[in-house]
Amino acid sequence: MSQTEQLLKKLPNDIGGSPADRIEQTDHVLEPWEKRCHALADVLDFHKILNTEEKRRGVEALGSEMVGKLTYYERWIAAFAFILFQKGILTPNDLERKMTEIQARYSITTRQ
Amino acid sequence: MHSHDHHPHDHTASADKSDAPPSYYEIMETAVRELLIEKKLITAGEIRRQIEVLDSRTPALGAKIVARAWVDPEFRACLLANGRTACEEFGITFYDDTQLIVLENTDKIHNLIVCTLCSCYPRPVLGLPPDWYKAKPYRSRAVKEPRNVLAEFGTAIPEDVEIRVSDSTAMVRYLVLPQRPVGTEDFTEEQLAALVTRDAMIGVIKVNLPNEITV
Repeated sequence: MSQTEQLLKKLPNDIGGSPADRIEQTDHVLEPWEKRCHALADVLDFHKILNTEEKRRGVEALGSEMVGKLTYYERWIAAFAFILFQKGILTPNDLERKMTEIQARYSITTRQ
Repeated sequence: MHSHDHHPHDHTASADKSDAPPSYYEIMETAVRELLIEKKLITAGEIRRQIEVLDSRTPALGAKIVARAWVDPEFRACLLANGRTACEEFGITFYDDTQLIVLENTDKIHNLIVCTLCSCYPRPVLGLPPDWYKAKPYRSRAVKEPRNVLAEFGTAIPEDVEIRVSDSTAMVRYLVLPQRPVGTEDFTEEQLAALVTRDAMIGVIKVNLPNEITV
């Protein structure tokens, strides 16, 4: 099978059966923002805005480099943003403006 | 070792994090949430309530189900017939649309659950999955070389026992009903539940009888 054929047959999330490292029994207590991110996903699901399969595909659509380098909930929030853009619920401008506003809020707090 | 599913951030350094500025992704989470609240698509109360729901789901719930199944053959039959309805009748609500299939370990079959595509997991009854369940090595290898994977968890399954690996989906989740350890005939249901761990309900270990426990 050619290199490119393999890419089509095994999308980035489809890793069952691929060679991989020894299992390290890792775990961590979720950071507060990670738990909020999880709750956000569930609430969006309750409102039929974003379901589990869309979430999984959204993570896959980030591409293998981001899937490899971002942590689990970093992938989630990035995927949610893209999906919400695609659905026309948020715009990139909305998000940029709000992130700047929040960053400023924290900067003020830090200076005090 | 290098795991692509892990980040250079050191999650153990959380003690210092309360004073640290929020990360780019944390700001993104706050921004998405606040925008959706401003647009009245969700409420802050819903997020708060769901965090409480997430906090209320731990492997102790799954352990209670397993212990009940061990002592009550009728419940066991219902649980194996339809995991979700049996759990709901037992008083555990499902906050999502998932179905639950309970897989019974026997002398001839050992079950293992995985989600090769992502991180699907029986969250209503076990809470959130451990990091290793979501990471590449477990997801890749569990379906291909389950005996080696089990060995890395210290679990040896005899060659004449079939290992069945069930791959979870967005809609169908699995829970392993482990074998009741020999020597627990006099245990109460509560004492039995205390033996059942998260990893045993994923299927990477068996339920063991700790020597310390005396009836």
